[in-house]
Amino acid sequence: MVDLSVRVGSVDFANPVILASGACGFGRELSEYVDMSTIGGICSKGLTLLPREGNPGCRVAETASGMLNSVGLQNPGLEAFLQHELPFMTGLGTRIIVNVAGHSTNDYQKMVERLGAPETPVDVLELNLSCPNVTEGCMTIGATAEGVYTLVNAVRSLTDKPLWVKLTPNVTSISETAHAAQDAGGDAVVLINTLLGLAIDIKTRRPVLQNNTGGLSGPAIKPVALRMVQECYRLISIPIIGVGGIMNAADVIEFMLAGASAVEIGTASLLHPAACAKIIYDLTEYAEDNRLAALSSLTGELKLW
Amino acid sequence: MLKEYEAALVEKKLLGTGNILLTFACADIAKMAEPGQFVNVSCSLFLKRPFGICTVDPIGNTFSIGVKEVGAGTQDILTASVGDVFSILGPLGHGFSFDGVKKIIAVGGGTGIYPLYFALDKAKRKGIPAICVNGFRSRQDAFFLSECEELSGKTIFASDAGDLGVKGTVMDALELLQPEDLADATVLVVGPEIMMKKVSAWANQHKLSCQVSLEKRMACGFGICLVCVCKIKSDAENMPFHHVRCCKEGPVFQASEVIW
Repeated sequence: MVDLSVRVGSVDFANPVILASGACGFGRELSEYVDMSTIGGICSKGLTLLPREGNPGCRVAETASGMLNSVGLQNPGLEAFLQHELPFMTGLGTRIIVNVAGHSTNDYQKMVERLGAPETPVDVLELNLSCPNVTEGCMTIGATAEGVYTLVNAVRSLTDKPLWVKLTPNVTSISETAHAAQDAGGDAVVLINTLLGLAIDIKTRRPVLQNNTGGLSGPAIKPVALRMVQECYRLISIPIIGVGGIMNAADVIEFMLAGASAVEIGTASLLHPAACAKIIYDLTEYAEDNRLAALSSLTGELKLW
Repeated sequence: MLKEYEAALVEKKLLGTGNILLTFACADIAKMAEPGQFVNVSCSLFLKRPFGICTVDPIGNTFSIGVKEVGAGTQDILTASVGDVFSILGPLGHGFSFDGVKKIIAVGGGTGIYPLYFALDKAKRKGIPAICVNGFRSRQDAFFLSECEELSGKTIFASDAGDLGVKGTVMDALELLQPEDLADATVLVVGPEIMMKKVSAWANQHKLSCQVSLEKRMACGFGICLVCVCKIKSDAENMPFHHVRCCKEGPVFQASEVIW
């Protein structure tokens, strides 16, 4: 029997496949298509302290091999999450990661205190310093190494739970922001959030998205994500969770070879609700065919020229 | 467990100008679908494309959708041949509610006629009387004329060109309805947004319950991505509206809840 389990810092996962924030809600809809207990973990929709209705107007534009979205962190807020969504998630029988977003340092602190309390049934907090569709917090903080350091440092002492830092690719040097996350006490970095993009309707001469810009996801961004994972793997010592355009098991293996300890599946679930289950099945087959005792042995095995 | 289906195209039938009825083999969708629900259909582009379900044949294990070319995705789907296999999710969303419905007035414009045809079929099977009001550009563009007449006690067509039924829009056609037509009626509307807004206002003016099927750009179609939201009135304090998923809570909403 192949061992698909992976370890990210202090947390064990049954396999490296985690559902990415913003592409699985709180697991309700996908649980109708997939036995969620077979998935490595699930990362909640980005949460804010208070409920948010998100951005108005058109929020999606199809692109070559991907899509732009400008949802803008629509979510029920921390209290409704704790009351209605978290109890549902804990029943899924998989690792629970909560994506924490905020307008200000104070927001992040309050949320980390609540969600990171020992009695809250959450395995990992993922700090969202990378959503490109809001005007405060998130990517505006994660755009600089200084911003990342200051934010992670401000919340680090408030919880004993693992803190993953989800970073934006919209920076000059991803290894600098990843380093800042590590230096401030982050337990892992999640690479990458969406790339900021624009789609134009030539009939109306306006952006397709009413937010003007949006975040690009899907296979279009996979090479960028792989490069960033590989670059950071050589330069930092905390684990990396790879995310960006993963559609199949071969993509997962590429990310692991580049240095990822685990991966997150986002846009693939939008196209095929059971994509994650198929990927796990195919990973098992790959490991068997290649006589791998443990899938985790692939991490960082890329041999550069 | 729900699943994604691999469904073969079994029939392609040309209707009016540019409108084609595509029939797929899929027993589960044929058996589960309700009027107003939709399917999300793969094409050669990145995302699937949503279409209201038009007919079901639970014995022959097929269902159909009406497709009109509006862009590259629909163009691609329309070039398919019988036997081609599509990846399909469905039936999706909430369709029309028939709870307490005594009579329906189905008002359709453009491709809105497809899901309404399914609703008229269900009404007929349930013994609910129906009136059908359909708008077209011209007689050349029109389709499902005899089908609608067969399923409805009264049918009024409108055409912009004036060569079919009333000259004008469905709003002009609605004016021809008599007080006894309106009594106890529930209005079901599917069509361009501006038409649905006007028909909703008309229904409100006549104190008729009204259901509309909203259309937004979608991605997943089953509620996880939140890109297709509609503005729905809210009871919450300090919150005039909620963004609600068109694909999951909709596409059919009570017209009185919708903020246009």
